[in-house]
Amino acid sequence: MKEFLWLIPALPLAGSILLAALGRSIPARVSAAIGGGTVGLSALAVLAAGVDFMSAPPPEGFHVQGLWTWVDLGWFRAGAALRLDALSLTMAAVVTFTAFLILVYSAEFMEGDEGYSRFFAYMDLFVAAMLVLVLADDLLFLYLGWEGVGLCSYLLIGFWYREANNGYAARKAFIMTRAGDTAFVIGIILLAASFGTLDITAVMEGAASEWQGGRLAAAAALLVLAGALGKSAQAPLQTWLPDAMAGPTPVSALIHAATMVAAGVYIIARTHVLFALAPWVMDLVAALGAATLLISAFSALVQHDLKRSLAYSTMGQVGFMFLALGVGSWQAAIFHFMTHAFFKALLFLSAGAVIISLGGEHDMRRMGGLRSRLPLAFWTFLAGAASLSALPLVTAGYYSKDLILEGALAGGGTLLWGAGIIGAFVTALYAFRMVFLVFFGEAGADVKRRTGLKAALPLVALSALSLLAGFFGVPSFLEAVLPASQAAPPVGHRWAGILSSLVPLLGAAAACLLYLGKRGIVERLAGSGPGAVLHRFLGSGWGFDWLYERLFVRPYQLAARAGRADIIDAPYAGAVRLAERLNGLLVKTQSGQVRRYAAGMALGALLALGAMVFI
Amino acid sequence: MSIADFIAVLPILVLTIAAVAATVLAAFRTGHAFNAALAACGFVLALASLAPASKAAPRAVTALFSVDAYSLFFTGLLLGAALAVTLLSYGYNAGREGGLAEFYIVLIIGTLGAIVLASSVHFASFFLGLEILGVSLYVLIAYFLGPHANEASIKYLILAGVASSFLVFGMALVYTELGTMEFSRIAMRAGAGAGPLLFAGLAMITVAAGFKLAAAPFHMWAPDVYEGAPAPVGAFLASVSKGAVAVIILRYFLQTGSFAIGPFFTVFTAIAVASMFAGNILALFQKSVKRTLAYSSVAHIGYILVAFLAGGRPGTVAAGYYLAAYFVSIIGAFGAVALLSGKEKELDSITEYRGLAWQRPWLAGAFTAMLLSLAGMPLTAGFLGKLFVAGAGVGEDLWFLVIALVVNSAISVYYYLRIIIALFSPAYGEAAAPLPGLPLAGSVALGTLTLLLVFLGVYPAPLLSLLEKAAAVF
Repeated sequence: MKEFLWLIPALPLAGSILLAALGRSIPARVSAAIGGGTVGLSALAVLAAGVDFMSAPPPEGFHVQGLWTWVDLGWFRAGAALRLDALSLTMAAVVTFTAFLILVYSAEFMEGDEGYSRFFAYMDLFVAAMLVLVLADDLLFLYLGWEGVGLCSYLLIGFWYREANNGYAARKAFIMTRAGDTAFVIGIILLAASFGTLDITAVMEGAASEWQGGRLAAAAALLVLAGALGKSAQAPLQTWLPDAMAGPTPVSALIHAATMVAAGVYIIARTHVLFALAPWVMDLVAALGAATLLISAFSALVQHDLKRSLAYSTMGQVGFMFLALGVGSWQAAIFHFMTHAFFKALLFLSAGAVIISLGGEHDMRRMGGLRSRLPLAFWTFLAGAASLSALPLVTAGYYSKDLILEGALAGGGTLLWGAGIIGAFVTALYAFRMVFLVFFGEAGADVKRRTGLKAALPLVALSALSLLAGFFGVPSFLEAVLPASQAAPPVGHRWAGILSSLVPLLGAAAACLLYLGKRGIVERLAGSGPGAVLHRFLGSGWGFDWLYERLFVRPYQLAARAGRADIIDAPYAGAVRLAERLNGLLVKTQSGQVRRYAAGMALGALLALGAMVFI
Repeated sequence: MSIADFIAVLPILVLTIAAVAATVLAAFRTGHAFNAALAACGFVLALASLAPASKAAPRAVTALFSVDAYSLFFTGLLLGAALAVTLLSYGYNAGREGGLAEFYIVLIIGTLGAIVLASSVHFASFFLGLEILGVSLYVLIAYFLGPHANEASIKYLILAGVASSFLVFGMALVYTELGTMEFSRIAMRAGAGAGPLLFAGLAMITVAAGFKLAAAPFHMWAPDVYEGAPAPVGAFLASVSKGAVAVIILRYFLQTGSFAIGPFFTVFTAIAVASMFAGNILALFQKSVKRTLAYSSVAHIGYILVAFLAGGRPGTVAAGYYLAAYFVSIIGAFGAVALLSGKEKELDSITEYRGLAWQRPWLAGAFTAMLLSLAGMPLTAGFLGKLFVAGAGVGEDLWFLVIALVVNSAISVYYYLRIIIALFSPAYGEAAAPLPGLPLAGSVALGTLTLLLVFLGVYPAPLLSLLEKAAAVF
């Protein structure tokens, strides 16, 4: 299987090209079969590679398949190579299996859409790019995948492009992440210039030996971090994610929840050597993660739109992963990536089932009492919400979140741990708020359509994974690639552990109290003056859009208007004017008259002769 | 000449036979498809004959030719380009007035001249090849008679005559000084103290080469001729005609080491920089797509000369790669124009290209890819070409030239994007006139070129290994 590693990304890519070429000439069933089938085969290939890898582990802990050299200039070389190790195998497995389940679900969800085959073409392209991103052994190749997933994210957010707002959301996502990508590119150039290669192993070895305690390590880590913040929608580059929900729900599930937004987590884990060399950057990672966690958890609490609530929840859960990365619990971060991929994909898909059966209704205020009418959606959503809340022992989310909180206490101190505990509490609170608002209480809108088999199977499979994936021994499997946390647990960590296990239960209970039955307290709170202000503030995601509008957009526009003719523009305007002037002069030589052209040649000949004979 | 000698020059022989056979057969069968197929078969056979020829290589065949990895590589490249031009011409010519059989005969003869240049190591074969190529071009440019075509052909005829006279005079001067016309002997004798006559001769050869390459300041004919010629002939002019001259000039310099001579280096540096700036700046506000491509090809010669000046193995490899990438892109760009041209008139004004992406998405995509490659965007062959050329220049510390290359790449993006923007803009009012149906042969050619463009841009290793062998000849 080692020689066929390239098949893993190549299969979805082939599917995408095939769908793009055949387009509308094939029936919808065939489109879905190609779209889902190639990803399914890719998942099988990952499985085969995984079995191979685990039954005969390579001595160094990783296996590299060099595909080809792209550029070799002697002092710089870059190429395409794939790397299979515990980290990339875990990522690839999660990506392909989740993607396959989501595509099966989409076959039903997207039925009747005029862009049916376009949808599968984009989704396959996304899977291929994501697999390149996680399997690449070369930073430039990795960056190809990185740009590829960004492009697909843009295409799929704006999938229903006839709505102007969707296009706006797509551009917002693209431009916001671009800010991070630019920094990431500069980081890659810095590494290439320092080490003359972009081979990840070589770069990391070089950094470890040459950059000990140096400023360059911190600079490189910061630049990589900026890229990760944009891709993973972490503060301060988080505002694009809620708007990204304009895309179809399976897209939100796959790209904006399960896989792409975790790319930032992956890249930090992949380059953890750099971060370990710059402790204060790691502290920054943890602080930003914790901040995002708190910001988004409180925002999720007051959303009316089901999908936006889930989007804020995604930001928060990725915040947990950043927190884990920042305190050096690398394995916990990847573990949480896996469990989160399962339960968040599940939550989105069952939310999608609710939305589609209500005829496109997103507003939770108009839902309610769906428990008996949509039993499948209810039970699967409940499984997802339980795992998101991290209810102890029975859910997968518990095991990964508990590991993160343990690591935060040991490696990060009480403050970060406290933030994590508060985040976990609010997470449970809003998770069960969604359950109660949607499935309990008075009946809201009418059910128009029931879930079919193709949508049901992925929901059941993901429910099982959301509850049971905690028992996979992922952290110990990752030990070969990611070092275990060194920090010793402080005194009283047992009590802290018990507290962190109980917090989700408290959150769920609080949700019960506030949202089950009469919602008197909540309504009174939201109705009071300061309460309404707070509600609006949290609902808008802590007013970041408002702030950025005033902090960046307007000053920028103002400066652009004011500085239209200032000194800074002069060189650029001058270059343009110079080009125009030169063009005007040169155009005169193109008179169309042969005698002038011959004269030009004669002049050239004189100059050449003069130079040759007399110099 | 022995049997092995004949095998070594098999591609030249195949094309000669093809030209004669086509001439004879055209007397009996004037069908368009038949004659086009005959030409295509000729090129395919000539390509196939590279295999036995490469077994016989390296080999000096008389004093005129040297068949080696270098000549074989570029013979293959020129033949491939000619095949693509044939396929593009077939759809373009179909249904036009007049006999079409002779078009392909002349195309074969022109290509014959080009591949003669690719393996020439002697002034005599240099001159013969160049004239065979040139005479064919006069015919091809004016093949579909019309005021523009006639004007273009006459201009090219007169100026090419001037250039040829420079060439012959230059060769004569070199011969006077050194007493030989073989490149390898020129190299040996030039070292032993050369007089002003030799330099004057070299300068005159430079003028002639500059004209054929359309390098500044000998470039002024290019836009008029490219515009007047049929689009597939434009592709032929920009690729085969220009490429063949570039190949023999590069060989001449590599073999004689003339670049080591100071004044010579200066003259070529000046030509390279002037070509880059003149081509790009003249293209900026062009309204005609074909003229834009003509200026673009002037600029590209400037880039290729950077690799020539770098010399050595990296320079040769870079020049070869750049030529291949440039061939694919420029033939593809002219090919897109050819595919879109109706029987009455060609689609030439940039405004006429508006909205094409909605009417012909695949064709517009291919055209965009070609333009992006000419601009040097990553993942296309053009990007790697520029990268290798810049790398070769940096390796020899030619910072002045490398900076000129980078600045000019930036300038050039402007006019390539202008065309691309037009492709993706909504059409003006009724400009969306029904386009002609796409001919099959041309579409296949353009599709193949597009795939090749991406393939070379992503996976250059096979081409580079061929070029390494070609560069090892010197």
